[in-house]
Amino acid sequence: MVAERLAEIVGPAHVLSRQSELLVYNSDGLPGYRRQPRLAVFPGTRDEAIAVVRFLAAERLPFVPRGAGTGLSGGALADDIVVVGLHRLKKIISLDVENRRATVEPGVVNLRLNKHVAPHGLLYAPDPSSEAACTIGGNVAENAGGPHCLKYGVTLNHVLAMTVVLPSGEIVELGSKVGERDGYDLRGAFIGSEGCFGLALEITVKLTPKPQAVRTLLADFTSVDKAAHVTSAIIASGIVPAALEFMDGATIRVVEDSIYAAGYPRDAEAILLIELDGLEAGVVADQETVRRICLDGGARQVRVARDDAERMKLWQGRKKAFGAMGRLAPHLIVQDAVIPRTKLPEILATIHAVSEKYSVMVCNVFHAGDGNLHPNIAYSADDPAESERVHKAMVEIMQACIAAGGSITGEHGVGLDKLGYMESIFSETSLNAMCELRGVFDPERRSNPGKVVPVHACKEWHGIPGSAKSRGAREASPLEAEPSRPIAR
Amino acid sequence: MPGCALPNTPLAGALPGINACVHCGFCLQSCPTYLNLEDENDSPRGRIFLMRSLLEGTVKPDDASVQLHIDQCLGCRACEPVCPSGVPYGQLLEATRATLYEYRPTPFIARLILFVFAREWLLRPAMFFSRALAATPIPTLLSGIKGRLGFAMAMLASTGRSIERSNYKPVTRGERGTVATLRGCVMEGLFSTTNRATERVLTVNGYSIVGAPGQKCCGALHAHAGHLEDARALARRNIVAFERSGATFIAVNAAGCGAIMKEYGHLLKDDPEWHQRAVNLSARVRDVSELLAAAGPREGGPLPVKVTYDAPCHLIHAQRVNEAPLSVLTAIPGLELVPLHDFDQCCGSAGIYNLIEPDTSDAVLAPKLANIRDTRASWVATGNPGCLMQIGAGLIRAEISARAIHPVDLLDASYAAFGQ
Repeated sequence: MVAERLAEIVGPAHVLSRQSELLVYNSDGLPGYRRQPRLAVFPGTRDEAIAVVRFLAAERLPFVPRGAGTGLSGGALADDIVVVGLHRLKKIISLDVENRRATVEPGVVNLRLNKHVAPHGLLYAPDPSSEAACTIGGNVAENAGGPHCLKYGVTLNHVLAMTVVLPSGEIVELGSKVGERDGYDLRGAFIGSEGCFGLALEITVKLTPKPQAVRTLLADFTSVDKAAHVTSAIIASGIVPAALEFMDGATIRVVEDSIYAAGYPRDAEAILLIELDGLEAGVVADQETVRRICLDGGARQVRVARDDAERMKLWQGRKKAFGAMGRLAPHLIVQDAVIPRTKLPEILATIHAVSEKYSVMVCNVFHAGDGNLHPNIAYSADDPAESERVHKAMVEIMQACIAAGGSITGEHGVGLDKLGYMESIFSETSLNAMCELRGVFDPERRSNPGKVVPVHACKEWHGIPGSAKSRGAREASPLEAEPSRPIAR
Repeated sequence: MPGCALPNTPLAGALPGINACVHCGFCLQSCPTYLNLEDENDSPRGRIFLMRSLLEGTVKPDDASVQLHIDQCLGCRACEPVCPSGVPYGQLLEATRATLYEYRPTPFIARLILFVFAREWLLRPAMFFSRALAATPIPTLLSGIKGRLGFAMAMLASTGRSIERSNYKPVTRGERGTVATLRGCVMEGLFSTTNRATERVLTVNGYSIVGAPGQKCCGALHAHAGHLEDARALARRNIVAFERSGATFIAVNAAGCGAIMKEYGHLLKDDPEWHQRAVNLSARVRDVSELLAAAGPREGGPLPVKVTYDAPCHLIHAQRVNEAPLSVLTAIPGLELVPLHDFDQCCGSAGIYNLIEPDTSDAVLAPKLANIRDTRASWVATGNPGCLMQIGAGLIRAEISARAIHPVDLLDASYAAFGQ
């Protein structure tokens, strides 16, 4: 019945209720986590999206908003509840070149927005490595970062305003297209709320003029430790690179085996990819300083990209590194810890020691400039002993990062994956405050239940109809006994 | 994987390719069916997930929705060149279709076409009839009617619209080696002008043409549909014919045929008797544009036409041949080459897909036609018969004055102009 009502809103082709069709929606970019949704609905217009949310509100049904499903924390997984996919809302509503802003629907792909504004000498700065696939709506939900956020800031710094449909179905405007408003920054609270506060249906973003000059440097090292020290030295010099990225030897070789081979030296144990941008004169001076720091710090050589084509190649290698890990083993887990930059050499040494201890293969590729680590472990989940070792290694790495004064997520969000770490870094008081903030946007806790704040801190699962955890204690959910939609051929 | 649900199937053999997928989603935006149907079941990542689920046993091969989403794939392989992990998607798709083959009937029209193409005694009269029909005004008259019949008539009508050119006699020293050409079923049946042009332009560019009697259909349509044994039987006959020709190169002017012939090694990988011969043959296969580009190609006479280029998926994605067709076109003095937006996106032809899945095919074709209209070009060059007819039919039905043409025909017209 629910499926039929939703089909009346969005059309039968855009509601999925067969188990076999819902399978592909059981995971995101981190398929180690799987949760089977009960239904999936894909509104095609803003009005349809509002109608869907209002219908779900009237039926008191919990749901999970989903963009392109490229997240890396299990954040868009729906455990036996409704997935609301926003990927069909992909219109770029307006582009205001003079005021350097654009208004887009949440399903617009990050790179598509950038291609759309590029002819006007503008760019949308946050550039997650998944930019070719991820959506602006998902970026807002996760407060996405990316290599260039070192200088330009994360999604939060580039979203001016949003039209949001709250889980209750109420429409609110957060932020302002024209500038700062008085009062609390609810826009800031919404960005990074991981789909727990509602759905952004229109997002006005700030566009940034393309820098006059850009230089991309590739420094290669024979040891991870040297590259880590050079990272700290560059930041200590006072220069703010547009991006400062680190890749270790294992990652270099996997990228060089792929279609995105960038010409990184295969025999290096680490490379730093450093981008400098700004006014020509400043960039030239900074380039020389950075080159010297690298060489003094033991770099074998420092190469500067000769043209845009070479620059693109160097960046494509970095950005597709995660996707290339499938060459190593069938399964992959990636972490997203943040540490103080000065602790980089020490933590990298710890990661190495942990990988030896559990005999797992860690590939490090990360945003060194802001200390945002991404250890990747490729393994076979079909081998229970190996899976166990991988799990233990990841926990130990995360604990080391927390002990070093770091945090459990830089840009991927908490989702399901980091739920277990929340209590290690937040007090009960803080977690309760988060629950209260959520209560402002979603008092019924129906939007993306069970994510971000651990269940027993927030008692999230209580009182939510239709969720797996609450069933049994109450009468059958309206979602149960859903008839299968026949497949028209 | 513990406990494979479909042991000893082509899909089970494809597990290493499936395992290479890390679910990153970088393929989504390259996929024409995902962009049009807006469901992840119709994306490369989703279909690979379904393949894995078939092996895990979480979905059954007789599940109608799984079959639907696998069938709706165009097989354009645009996902392959963007995949960081190098998932061999085309091979996975063929293995999946071959595995599902037992569980569901191939649509009647597809079975009929595949049956005819595998049998020369049926193919010849079928092509003769199509050619005869194409020579009458009937296809043009019926090209406007709604539905697949109208579209099929427009496809036929589009084949008779190549560029006018005078005769010329190519001379050569044959210094670049011997070439045997794949005549092809549709190419020889409906584009014989292009086949003769192919022989002439190769001759002008220093190749000497040798015959390869006994050659058959390349088997591409059969392989794409999952009829792998039929494809293998055809491949073996072709291997024999082209080995006997002794030619240095095998020139193919149909991108779809070239792609499968370059993959005969993979097709026959489990056949110890034929595998090495297949690998050796594949190594000699070239798209005609590759041979021409290697020779320059030689400049011809002036041809003042405005042309845009659309890349066949099986040339740009499957064979990774990007530049060669452009160098064929830029070798023509006076030819103005205008860029086509999304030239690397599928046109929706996909072998016989446009006859089996017309709605999706039309949805994929629509933006292609709009982009062509925007170029204001009078010719759309593309090197594959399926694309020539799909785009050609679309242009006729949308009343866009541009015509689809093989790049080789333009080069041939330029050489003809030189002779004058």
